[in-house]
Amino acid sequence: MKRYVGTLFSILMVLGLSLSACAPAAPQVIKETVEVERIVEQTVEVEKIVEVTPVPEAKEGALPRAETMYFNGQQWGPVVGWNPYSSSNNNAMATSQGDSSRVTMFETPYLYNMLDGEQYPLLADGDYTWNDDMTEITFKLKEAAHWSDGTPVTAEDVAYTWATHVKYNTATGAGNKDYIDTIEAVDDRTVVVKAMLDDEGNAINPLLVAAYVSTNYVIQKAWTETLEERVGGDATAFLADTGEDVVYSGPYHKFFTDDTKVVLVRDDNYWGQDASMWGKLPAPKYLAHAIFKDNAAGSVALAKGEVDVSQQFNSNIQLLWLNYGLPISTYLPEAPYGIGASLPTAFYNLNSYGLDQLAVRKAIAIAVDYPTIIANAMTNQSATFDQVPRSLMNPTPGEQAMYDHEAVVDLQWAGNDIEGAKALLDEAGIVDTDGDGWREYNGQKLSYIATCPNGWSDWQAAIEVVAAAGKKIGIDITTNYPEWSVYQTVVTKSDAPLPEGYDIFMMWSAGAGPTMPWGRIRNLLSCEWVGMANNWSGNWGQYCNPEVDALIQAIPGETDPDKLKEIYTELVRIYLTDIPSFTLMYRPQSFHAVNETVWTNFPHQDDGTEPPVPPMDCTDGWGIACLYNVTLVNP
Amino acid sequence: MKHTIQQVFRSGKFVLGFSIFVAILLIVIVYPLIITDPPLAIISQGTFFEPGIYVNVYDSLGSQPYTLLDDAATNRIASKLGDKERLDMKEWLLDYGIPESEINIADTEQLLDLWENNYDPKENVAGMTNAQRNYYVRLNASLEGLLSTEGTIIAVKNADTGTLEEKGVVAQSDYVNVSQVANVRVLALGTDNFGRDVLTELVRATGVSLQIGFVAGTIATLIGLTLGLLAGYIGGLVDDVIMFFTNLFTVIPGFVLLILISFSIGQERRGAATIAVVIGLTSWYWTTRSVRAQVMSLRNRDHVSLSKLSGHSIAYIIFADILPYIASYVVMAFILQITSGILAEAALSILGLGPRTTEVPTLGLMMNWAMIYQAHILGKWWAYFPILVTIALITFSMNLMNTGLDQVFNPALRE
Amino acid sequence: MKGYRKYFLNKVGWFLVTFVCAFILNFTLPRLMPGDPVAAIVSRLAQGMSDATGVRAIYQQYTELFGTNKPILEQFFIYVRNVLRGDFGYSISMYPRTVADTLKSAIVWTICLQFPAIIVGWLIGNTLGALAAYLRGAFDKVLMPVSIFVSNFPAFGMAVIFLVIFGVVLEWFPTSGGYGFDLIPTFSWGFMWSVIVHYQLPFWSLVVIAIGGQAIGMRSMSIYELNADYVKYARFMGIKDRKIIGYVFRNAMLPQIAGLASSIGTMVGGALVAEIVFSYPGLGYTLLNGVMGQDYPLISAATLIITVMLLGANFIIEILYGFIDPRVKAAQAD
Repeated sequence: MKRYVGTLFSILMVLGLSLSACAPAAPQVIKETVEVERIVEQTVEVEKIVEVTPVPEAKEGALPRAETMYFNGQQWGPVVGWNPYSSSNNNAMATSQGDSSRVTMFETPYLYNMLDGEQYPLLADGDYTWNDDMTEITFKLKEAAHWSDGTPVTAEDVAYTWATHVKYNTATGAGNKDYIDTIEAVDDRTVVVKAMLDDEGNAINPLLVAAYVSTNYVIQKAWTETLEERVGGDATAFLADTGEDVVYSGPYHKFFTDDTKVVLVRDDNYWGQDASMWGKLPAPKYLAHAIFKDNAAGSVALAKGEVDVSQQFNSNIQLLWLNYGLPISTYLPEAPYGIGASLPTAFYNLNSYGLDQLAVRKAIAIAVDYPTIIANAMTNQSATFDQVPRSLMNPTPGEQAMYDHEAVVDLQWAGNDIEGAKALLDEAGIVDTDGDGWREYNGQKLSYIATCPNGWSDWQAAIEVVAAAGKKIGIDITTNYPEWSVYQTVVTKSDAPLPEGYDIFMMWSAGAGPTMPWGRIRNLLSCEWVGMANNWSGNWGQYCNPEVDALIQAIPGETDPDKLKEIYTELVRIYLTDIPSFTLMYRPQSFHAVNETVWTNFPHQDDGTEPPVPPMDCTDGWGIACLYNVTLVNP
Repeated sequence: MKHTIQQVFRSGKFVLGFSIFVAILLIVIVYPLIITDPPLAIISQGTFFEPGIYVNVYDSLGSQPYTLLDDAATNRIASKLGDKERLDMKEWLLDYGIPESEINIADTEQLLDLWENNYDPKENVAGMTNAQRNYYVRLNASLEGLLSTEGTIIAVKNADTGTLEEKGVVAQSDYVNVSQVANVRVLALGTDNFGRDVLTELVRATGVSLQIGFVAGTIATLIGLTLGLLAGYIGGLVDDVIMFFTNLFTVIPGFVLLILISFSIGQERRGAATIAVVIGLTSWYWTTRSVRAQVMSLRNRDHVSLSKLSGHSIAYIIFADILPYIASYVVMAFILQITSGILAEAALSILGLGPRTTEVPTLGLMMNWAMIYQAHILGKWWAYFPILVTIALITFSMNLMNTGLDQVFNPALRE
Repeated sequence: MKGYRKYFLNKVGWFLVTFVCAFILNFTLPRLMPGDPVAAIVSRLAQGMSDATGVRAIYQQYTELFGTNKPILEQFFIYVRNVLRGDFGYSISMYPRTVADTLKSAIVWTICLQFPAIIVGWLIGNTLGALAAYLRGAFDKVLMPVSIFVSNFPAFGMAVIFLVIFGVVLEWFPTSGGYGFDLIPTFSWGFMWSVIVHYQLPFWSLVVIAIGGQAIGMRSMSIYELNADYVKYARFMGIKDRKIIGYVFRNAMLPQIAGLASSIGTMVGGALVAEIVFSYPGLGYTLLNGVMGQDYPLISAATLIITVMLLGANFIIEILYGFIDPRVKAAQAD
C-alpha cells in the first residue's frame, strides 16, 4: 500500500491541477408535475423542471440556514463591545453611526435614503418641521416605539443622549457641538433640536442640524445613567466600557460572539412590527457575520453560498455569474455594478517642492490614465469619467443636478492627455535642462513619492497608474506603501507641513448623506482643518483659499435653489482650476453583492419598491427595508 | 579536485538538477535581451487577460481579406447557442406559457423565432431570482442577428458633414492571415491584476528572487561557516558563547524575527537588497550547528594533530587542514541556504512585508497580488500557478543537485 | 545515573540562561519598532475633536495606561512583575480587550494544528524514509524524487494548491474557518465533526511538507547505518534481520529526534501561512495583526509563548536524547 503512496500522490496532483478550470457541482434537478390554468378553461398538465438546491437540515448547535442571513465585509476582527457611545468597540454589525447609520440594534429618529436623498421616519412620527426662523427642528416620536426592556422611547431619551455626547466629549459631541445648541423634550413625545445661532440670530449650519436626526442613535436615558454610575464619571472608562447590558430599541441584539463570528438574533417583541412602522417582523431570524482573514476568503465563501450579502470589494465579481453561472448579482446588472457615492481622491502636498506650481499639478492630473485605473484597480466597479465627468459631486442623479454642467465642461478633463500635459509644462518653462530625462523647475529635478496605505489593494493599483503617468511626462514619481497605522498618524497631523514621502497621497472623501455635497466639499477644501493636530475630516494637503471658505460658509444658510446651484458651480469651477487634489475613481457607499441561493428579492435596479430601497447591505439607513422584503427561495 | 568534479557530473541526479537550474538561469538572462519590454509596464486595460494570441481588430479590418469556402455559420451559431442555452430558452418559454409541443430545441430557426416574438425582459416569472433575470437579458442580447447571412458594414464618419459613410463590407466568409496583420501580440501567460504581461514579469521576478536567494545564502553561509569553525575548533569559552547565541536564535522563531525586522525597516527602505541581507542575518544558525559538529569530529584527527605539533597557527590549520574536508558539506549547505532564502522572501511577500512593489517584481510579490485579487478563486490560473511551478522547479533542481553531491561525497548513499 | 546528573544540570543551566535572554529580547524587540501605537489609538478615539487640549489629555491617559511614557528599564520591571502575576496587560490594537483574553482563544487552535501536524509528519516521514532505505528498489526510486519535490515546496504554495483543488474545485472540504460557518460551539458530536472536517486541509498541507523533509533525512541516515560494519558483522553471524533493524533504526533515529526540535520552530512560519490562506483561527494570525498594529503587549506575549513552547520542546527532547543516546552517557564519563 505504502509502495503506491508516492505514485498515487503524484497522479492526484496532476489530476487535480488539470481540473482547475472546472465549474462547481451542479444542483439537484427535481421534476414536478404542476397544474396550470389557461384562459381556455382547460387544465393542461405541464411538466416543469424545477431546480432545487437542497437546504441542509438544521444540525444541533447550528444556525438554521433558512432563518439566517450571512454577511461579510463589515467585521474584520473580533467584536470588542456593545457600547453605542464608544468608537473603539469594533462592532460593525450593531454600532455604526454615519450618514446611513446601521439600524440593526440601535435606531435613529430618521433613516436616510441615498437614492432619493430623503429622510424617512423610523422612531419619529412623520416628517420634522423647521420653525419660521429656521433655527429649530421639531418632531414627534411614535407611540409604538419602545425599548427592549418594555419602557417606551421618550423625548427625554433623545435629549439625554445629546447631553451625554457633549458631556463626555464623544466624537458625535465634538463634531456637532458648534452647530447644535441643545436638544429638549417639550413633552413625552415631542423633541426640539435647537441650532447654535450666530450673531445675527441665524442658525450657523442648518444642514448639520437636519443631518443629526438621521445620523445619531437614540440611547436610553436610564441605561446611560447606569453606565455613568458604573464608571464614576470617568470619560475614558465611559468610552471604553463594553456595554454588555445595553438596552436597545432595534430589531436585533447579541446572540453569540467569538473570534470567528458574531451573530445577532431577532427580538420578536420588536416595536417596529406595529402597523405604524413596518407592519411585520424582519424576515431573517439571525444575522450572522463570519470573521474572514482577508478579501479572498470572503469571496470564496460568497461563491459557495455561505454568505448572502457581501460588503467587501470582490474583484471581477461579474465573473462569478458570467463564467460560473452562480446566482450572484449586484444592484446594477452591468458595470459599474453599484451606485458610486464617494470620491477617493489623490491629494497634493502643497508644501512640496514644485507642487505649488499649478502647471505641475495640472499636468500630472491630466496625464493619469483614469480608464485603466477604473478597469484594473476597480475592475470596472466604478463609473468612468466619460460617463460622469469630474466635479465635486458623486454620480447619483441627485447630486449631479446640483451644478451647471455646461459652465465647467471645458475644465473637466478626461485623462490620458500626455501631449497636453507636456505642452503645459513646456509653456511654464519646466523643461529638462540637463538631459537626464526628467524635468527641472528652477534647476531642481522634480521628483515625488505617491503613496497610500499598504494592503489597500485597489488604492495601491490606482497609485501605480498615477506613478506611471509621471514617467510619460518627464516627472519622476515613485511609489511607497507605509502601513496604515503609520500612514494615518502622519496624514492626519495638520498642524505642521507633511513630512517627506507624502507628496501625492490618497485618501477618501465623504459618501452620500443628507448634508452632501456640501459636507464633502467642506471636507475637501475648507481651510478650517488646517492647524488641527488631529484632523480626520479632510483637506490633508492643507489648501487654503478664502474665496472657497466664504462660499462654503454661505451654503448652509442658503435656501434659494438657483442661488445654490450658482454657488456649487462656482466651487466646482475653482476646484477644477486650482486642482489642490483630484478624483481618481468613484466608489460605492458600500459594496453590495448578494448570493440568491437561500434568500431572494434583494434590492436591484427597477425593482419597483417605493420609496426605492438602496443597496446598503440590508442594514444601513433606508436600506434596512430590504430585511422586510426578502423571501426564501424555497419556502 | 578534478577527479571530484568528474565524479560529480557523472551522478545522474546532479546532472538533472544542474541542467534544470542552468536552463532557468539561461532563460532569465537571455529572455530580456530578446524581448526588451519593461517588465512592470502596464499593457492591458482590464485585469487578468487570458493567455492567447491577441490580434488588433482595427488592423485586421484593414488587412487583405481572403475568402474561405467552409461553413462558418455552424460554428458561429454553436458558439452562441449551445445545448445549455437552448434548454434555458425552452424553460423560459414554458414558464411564459407556450405549450411544450410547439417548442423544438433542435430546430434553431423556429426556436429563435418563438424567442423573438415572446421574450419580454419585464416579464416577472414567479420564483426567478434577480441573477437569473439578468442572465436572460444577456442571452437575449447575444442572440441578435445570429441567423443573418449578410455581412457587416464598416462606416466612417465624414469629417465635414459628420454623417456615416459606408467604407466597406465584411462578408461572413472573409478571413485574414494573422501574419499579415500589423499588430499581433502573443501573451503566453496573459496579464495579471495590474495589467502587466505575466511572462515577462515572471522572468524578471525569477531573476530577482534568485539574486535575493544568492545574497541571503552567501551571507548566511559565511556567517555560519565562520562561527561554526571557530566554535568547533577552538572550543572552550568561544564555543560556549557561540553556541549560546545559536541557541538563542533557534529559540526565537526566525520567522517572527524576520517579520519584526521587516516591519521595523518600513517600506521606504525595504529594497530587494535589504531584504536579502535581513534574511541572511536571521537564518545562519543551523549552518553553524552542523559545521561545528563536523569540525569537532575532525579536530581529533591525526593530520590536525600533526599540524599542531608542527607549530602552525590556528588560522593555517583551519584553512589548510579542516576546511577542505568540510568543503563538500559547506557547498551543500550553501545550496540549501539559497533555497530557503528564496522561500523566505516569498513567504514574507505573501504577508505583505516584502520589497517595494514598484521597483522590481519578485516571485512572492506576484503571488501576493494574485491572491489579493482572488485569482485562485476566479480560476485565473495563469496569475499564480506558473509562479508556484517556477519556485518548485528552482527548489527542486537545487535539491537534486544537493542530493547528487551528497551521493558523490558519501559513496554509501549511491544506488 | 551520576553521569546523567552532570548532563542534566548543564542543560538546565543553559536553558535558564537562554530563557532569560530570550525574555529580554522578546520585550525589547517590539518596542524598537518605529511609530507610536498609542498615537494610533488616540487618533481613532479623538476623531472629530478639534480641541487640541482634549486630544492631548486623552493621549496622556493612554500613555499612562500602557506605561509608554516611562523609561524603558522601568517599563521592563513593571512588565516582569505583571507577567509573574499572569497579567499581560491590555492589547493596544484591540483595546479594551486584554492580551490574555485574545491569546487564550487563539492558542488552543494553534497547538491543536501544529503539534499533531509535526508529530504525524515526523512519524510518517521517518517510516517512509526507513522503508525506502530498507527496501530499495522501485519504492525508493519513486519516493526519493517525490520527497525532494514536496519537502521544499513553499508552505503557502501547498496551502493554495490544496485550497484550489480540494476546496474550490472538488469541494471535498470546506474552504475556510475553524468550524462550520453556521455552527455555534457546543460540545456536540456535530460540532466536533465539523471541527475535524475543517481541520483536514490546513493539517495536511503542513504534514505533507513535513513528511517530505523527514523522509529524506531518515533515508540518508538509515542507508548510512545499514552499511556500517556492525550490521554486516551481525548479518554474517546469522542474526535475524528483524533484530538488526531494531538496532539500526534506533541509531538512525538520533539525529531525527534533534531535528524534531528544530522543526517545531519552523512550523510557526508554516502554520501562519496556513492560517491566513484557510482563514483558520490561531496564534500566527493574531501575531501578524499585532505586528501590523504595533501592539507591543500582544507581540511580546505571543513571542514569549512561542519561545516557551520551543524552549520546552527543545529541553524535553534534549533530555530524551540523553536517555536514548548511549554516547552521551559515555561522554559524561570522561
